[in-house]
Amino acid sequence: MPEVILEVSNLKKSYDNVVAVDGLDFKIKKGQCFGLLGPNGAGKTTTLAMLEGIEIPSEGEIRYKGNFLPRNYQELIGIQFQATALQDFLTPFDNLKLFSNFYDHPSPMGELILKFRLDDFLHRDTRRLSGGQRQRLLLALALVHNPEIVFLDEPTTGLDPRSRRDLWDIVKELKAEGRTLILTTHYMEEAEILCDELLILSVGRTLLEGTPDQLVRNANVDNLDALFLSLTGEDLVKTQEVIT
Amino acid sequence: MSRVARSLKRMMAIFHARNLEYLRDRASFGWNLVFPVLIVFALALVFSGPQKSIFTVTVTTHANQLELAQFPGIDIQIAEREKALERLSRQQTDLVIEASEKEINYWINQNSAAGAILEKLLRSTETRTLSRGQTDGAAIRYIDWVIPGILGMNVMYSALWGVGYVVVRYRQSGYLRRLKATPLTKFEFLIAQVISRLLVTVVASCIVFAGTHLLLDYKMVGSPGLLLLIALLGGLSMITVGLAIACRTESKEFADGLLNSITFPMLLLSGVWFSLDGSPAWVQGVAQILPLTHILQAARAVMLDNAGLLDISLNLAVLVGFSVVGMLLSTRLFKW
Repeated sequence: MPEVILEVSNLKKSYDNVVAVDGLDFKIKKGQCFGLLGPNGAGKTTTLAMLEGIEIPSEGEIRYKGNFLPRNYQELIGIQFQATALQDFLTPFDNLKLFSNFYDHPSPMGELILKFRLDDFLHRDTRRLSGGQRQRLLLALALVHNPEIVFLDEPTTGLDPRSRRDLWDIVKELKAEGRTLILTTHYMEEAEILCDELLILSVGRTLLEGTPDQLVRNANVDNLDALFLSLTGEDLVKTQEVIT
Repeated sequence: MSRVARSLKRMMAIFHARNLEYLRDRASFGWNLVFPVLIVFALALVFSGPQKSIFTVTVTTHANQLELAQFPGIDIQIAEREKALERLSRQQTDLVIEASEKEINYWINQNSAAGAILEKLLRSTETRTLSRGQTDGAAIRYIDWVIPGILGMNVMYSALWGVGYVVVRYRQSGYLRRLKATPLTKFEFLIAQVISRLLVTVVASCIVFAGTHLLLDYKMVGSPGLLLLIALLGGLSMITVGLAIACRTESKEFADGLLNSITFPMLLLSGVWFSLDGSPAWVQGVAQILPLTHILQAARAVMLDNAGLLDISLNLAVLVGFSVVGMLLSTRLFKW
């Protein structure tokens, strides 16, 4: 049985009077790719931000290997944000060097350049990179310190099919290396291919949880796409009422 | 690696990245150097000629007690004795007179031909007992007086906008959020921004000063080292004020407004373009709470009057005070 690396209990987050996350409980096992799905405004990004240690929960707790988040938690995790701006006028090489210097034991830059195929545009201003090149760079920056857990917030949004598949290959490699991946996406095909376990959220609460196979089988639909459409359509509220 | 060494390594990384960004942004880099040089040359072209050929007499009492007042072409001004003598030593006035019913005390600048002429005129027209004093000092032209103002203004713009606006841009674009997810601390980030901008501001000021001083003839009688110290402390005070403004601001437009609301009063009240000597006391009081006023007072004292460290120590202390308060506020209130 794989070790539980992150355990979330009764997690809540409110901003003024708006409840963004409303009592989540789930466990993420070491080495698995855990998918957070849900329509816009479901609370995925807020949940991710709390797991990343960027947002402080209003209630509840997150445990790392059974303990509170350690002081050096930022050294253990790597984050690829949904929309990250980089400093103007810097190249991928400058950025790799900058982010490497934030950590005590960075990965060798040569390895990262090779692994994420950055060499063709290594010295190009990052503002002139294509969508796919940019995502590969952001992923390399997330991996610059060889983290145990990697957060991927909609990593393929806006990419063409070829770039998307390229990125999937990289994600599969990361999984094969034994890293724990936490992924949010709007593409059900992506979730089905990459994720071992899924948590579907709606209005800050858990709607469904399980492996992609289990969820499709239990809902008696052809694939995740069909399941997600049925959940996020007009029947969403009804479905939620049935579940809760 | 010790904790301090790790912290320094992270600070140096962000410092280096910020320098690269600035140096590669050729438009901003060029403008920071070209703009003040253009202003200096334009003013030199307009104001470096000889002063107007009118005599100026400064009196410490009412002008109608003087026989000289009846002559055309003599401009009579009123000022306190200390101020009047300071102006005399800069040849901004040709004669200083302190008159009572029975006697007249007067001072001339021994280097001033106009002063000598006025002295003869005074002696031939007055029947009261005359007592003579003298001072010396070369003439101060407007260009000499305004150069410290332009250098100070450049420090202000470079420091306030180079940090305040840039940090808000980083925040709005999500770059600060990305940095938050690394071991980099707020303090390390802020110190790196301060040092990077200070380096840029001081080096740019030195280049502008050295370049224009080589090509133009303007007055600089004091210590260049002291002038450098003023640029350092002045730049630091402005940068920390810029950081304090940017520490929570999320919109570039709002930052724009805030920065303008600080720079405009300083441009008007700190004595960049004109002296506030004749302005109401409350205006001069307000000017004293602006950091640019202290940069300019110190710079003019060094450049025009060969002031020493002690003479400008109060101005420097105020600049240090602004820097400490600005840095404390920024560190405490900063939001990624």
